[in-house]
Amino acid sequence: MMDKEKLRQADLFSGSVICLLGLWIISQALKMPMKDSWGGVQNVWYVSPGIFPLFVGAMITLLGALLIRMALKTVGIAGARAVFAWLISSELARYLTSAPMHRFYATVAVFIGFVFIDIPRIDFFLGSVLFLAAFITMFYLDDAVLLKKLLGCYLAGTALTALYFLFGLSARLANIIEFPDDWLTLGFIVVYCAYAWLLTRNDAALRRKCKIALIVAVAAPFIIGPIFKYFLLVPMPTEGLVTTLMDAIRYGEF
Amino acid sequence: MMAFDRIGSFFDIVLQIGADPINLAVLFGSVLLGIIFGAMPGLTSTLGVALLTALTYGMDTSLAMICLLAIYVGGTYGGSYASILINIPGTAAAAATALDGYPLACRGEGGRAIGLTTTSSAIGTTISMLFVVSISPIISHFALQFTSFEFFLLAFFGILISGTLTSPDLVIKGWIAGFLGLFLACVGRDQLQFFPRFTFGVPELDSGIEVVPVLIGAFGIPQIIQVLKERFQIGETQKLQRILPEIGTVIRNFPAIVRSALIGVGIGAVPGIGEDIAGWVSYGAAKNTSKHPETFGKGELQAVLSTETANNACVGGAMIPLLNLGIPGSPPAAMLLGALMLHGVTPGPMITFEHPTFIIEVAAILLLASCAMWVTGMALAKQVVKVLRIPTQIFMPIIGVLCIIGSYSLGLNIFNLYLMLPVGIICYFLTEMGYPIAPLVIGVILGPMADENLRRALMVSQGSFMPVFTRPVSLILFIVIVLTILSQFAFYRRFKDKLVAKILRRDSCEAVFDEK
Repeated sequence: MMDKEKLRQADLFSGSVICLLGLWIISQALKMPMKDSWGGVQNVWYVSPGIFPLFVGAMITLLGALLIRMALKTVGIAGARAVFAWLISSELARYLTSAPMHRFYATVAVFIGFVFIDIPRIDFFLGSVLFLAAFITMFYLDDAVLLKKLLGCYLAGTALTALYFLFGLSARLANIIEFPDDWLTLGFIVVYCAYAWLLTRNDAALRRKCKIALIVAVAAPFIIGPIFKYFLLVPMPTEGLVTTLMDAIRYGEF
Repeated sequence: MMAFDRIGSFFDIVLQIGADPINLAVLFGSVLLGIIFGAMPGLTSTLGVALLTALTYGMDTSLAMICLLAIYVGGTYGGSYASILINIPGTAAAAATALDGYPLACRGEGGRAIGLTTTSSAIGTTISMLFVVSISPIISHFALQFTSFEFFLLAFFGILISGTLTSPDLVIKGWIAGFLGLFLACVGRDQLQFFPRFTFGVPELDSGIEVVPVLIGAFGIPQIIQVLKERFQIGETQKLQRILPEIGTVIRNFPAIVRSALIGVGIGAVPGIGEDIAGWVSYGAAKNTSKHPETFGKGELQAVLSTETANNACVGGAMIPLLNLGIPGSPPAAMLLGALMLHGVTPGPMITFEHPTFIIEVAAILLLASCAMWVTGMALAKQVVKVLRIPTQIFMPIIGVLCIIGSYSLGLNIFNLYLMLPVGIICYFLTEMGYPIAPLVIGVILGPMADENLRRALMVSQGSFMPVFTRPVSLILFIVIVLTILSQFAFYRRFKDKLVAKILRRDSCEAVFDEK
C-alpha cells in the first residue's frame, strides 16, 4: 500500500473512477423495467429488477464523491493539480518503466497468456509447464536485466502463438499432423528453456537456479494435473498430446 | 433434557468421525496442509480453504467439511511459525504474535514459544467450539423471527461493519469495496423476474458471477502479484529447540486464555472481520491488564499466548453467524460459505430444520481439528518449518496454477477463469490504493440475499418502508446502521463529545449539590 499522502492523491483518481462507475450503474439500472411489463408481468417500482442496482449505484456514486471530497480536503486544489500534472509528466513514464512495474507486467503477462491463450487451446500439462517455466525463471533468477529479456522472449512467443490461432493455421495444420498446437507449444517451451539456459551459462549460481526452476516447472504440473484428472476425475480444460499419452499410460492402452 | 440430547449427539458424532480411518487421514492431512499454508509467508488460510474447496467438490459434505475446517484451523495456527522464527507473519492473523514470538526465538526459546502457541491455539479452538454448540440454537431460534426487512438490513449491516473494521485506510473505502461486491452480485438474471442485468449479452453471465472463482481471484491473484512485485524474501530462520506443550505456563495464565478466547469468539462473530483483528485486540487487552506491560514486545510469553488463543478462537466465532444467519464471520468463513453452497447446504436459520445435526457436526469437527492440530504441531513442527526454506519465487507460480485449475474445476467452465483473472487484477489495484478486499467478497456473497429480501420485503409491504420502524429487530438494526455510518463523520463525533461532556458536567454538579 502507498503512503498516506500519495494515497490521498490516488483517492482523487480512484474516487473519480468509482463515481463514474456508480453513474454508469444508475444509467443501466434506469433502463431496467420499472413500471413496464416484463415477461407478461406488470411491474411496480418496488419489485423492479432495477431497484437494487439503482440503490447500489447511488451508494457507489455518493461514496465516490465523498472520497473525492475527503481527498480534496487533505491535498487541496494544488494537490489535485499536482496529480493531473503527474499524469502528463515524464515522471509517469519513469514510474511505468521502473523495476517493480516490470515485475508487475511480467506477472500479469504470464497470467494473461496462460488464461486467455493457452488454457482454452493447448494441452493443460504443456500450458502449465510453459507458464511455470516462464514465471519461475523470470522471478527466481532475481535479475532485472534477465527478467526483461525473458519477458521479451515469452511475449514474442505468445504473440506468435496468438497470430497462429488468429489466422486459423491451427485448423489447417490439424489435417496434416495430430495435435499441431501442442507440438508448437512444445517447441516454444524448448526455445524458451534454451534461451534461459543460454542467458545464465556464464554464472554458476544463476545456472543452478535456472536448473531448479526448469525442474520445478516440469515436475509440478505432473503432480498437480494427475491429482485433478485421475483422483478427482476433473477433465482438464484442454486435453491434447500429453493428456492422451498419460491416459494411455494410466489405462494401459499400449 | 434437550441440552443433554445435544451433548449426547455431539459425542456420538465425534466418535463417528474419529472412528473412520479415512476421516482421520483427511483430518490430519488437511491440518498439516493448513499448517504449511499458514507457515508460508504470502499464503493464507483463506487461500488454503479456497484451493481445497475445488479439491473437495466431489466429496460428500461431511468429509468436505472435515477437510475445509481442518485447513482453516491449521492455517490460522500455522502463521505463528513464520512469526516466531523469521519475524514475518505467515498470515495476518499471526502478525501480533511476531512482536513477542521473534524475541523469544532470538534468545533461544523458539521451541518453547511454538509449544505454547500450539497448546493455546488448540485451547482457543476448543473454547470457540463450545460457543458454536451453546449459542447457535439461541441465535437460530432468534433468527427464525426475522422477515425479509431484517435479512436485508442484516446483509447491509454485515457489509458496512466489515468495511468499517477491515479498512486499512479510510473507512469509506471499506464501504465502497462492499458496494462494489454488491454490484458484482447484481450481474446475471435477477432471481424474481429473470431480467438480465449487466450481462452485455454474454450467455455465460446469465447465471450470475460464480462466487468461488471470484473469491479465489480476489484473494489469490493480488497476493501472488504483491509478493513477486515487492521481491518478498524470507529471512534467516531462527533455530528451533525441543518443542514442549508448556502446560504449566498455560495453567498459570488461564484467566488470560479465557479472556483471549472470549475476544476471539466475539470478534469472529462480527461479519467479515478476521483473525488478525482478534489477535491485535487480544494483544492490546493482555498488555493493558498485565502487571508488567513493559515486557511486551520483548519476548513476553503471555502476549504470544493471548494472540494465538484469540486468533484460533475466531474460527469458531466466525462459524456462529455463518451457520445461523448465512453471514460469514471472516474471509475464510466466506470461502466456507461458498463451499457449503456448492454442496447444497444453505446456511441460515433454516439449517437446524434442513440439516438438524449439521451445527453439532461442525462443532465436532472443530474439536477434532484442534486435537489434530495439537498432535501435528507437537510432532511435526520441526519438519514443517523446513518449508520456510522454499523461495517464494518458486511456490507463488505453483499457487497460481492451483488457483487456475481450482477455479476451473468448480464448474468445468473456462469462463470462470476469464472472470477470476480480471477480478484478481482489479483487487490488486484496490489493495494498493488502500481498499480492503474482505468487504468486497462479503458483498458478492450477501448481494443476492440483500437484493431478494429488499424486493420481497417491499412486495409484502406494498412499497412501504414503515415496517423498518415498526418491527423491533428491524428498528434496532436500522439504528445500529445509522450510528455506524454517523460515527465516521466529524460532526457526529463533535456532537457526541459535547453530549457526553454535558452529561458529565450535570452529574458532577448534582454530586456537588448532594455533598452540600
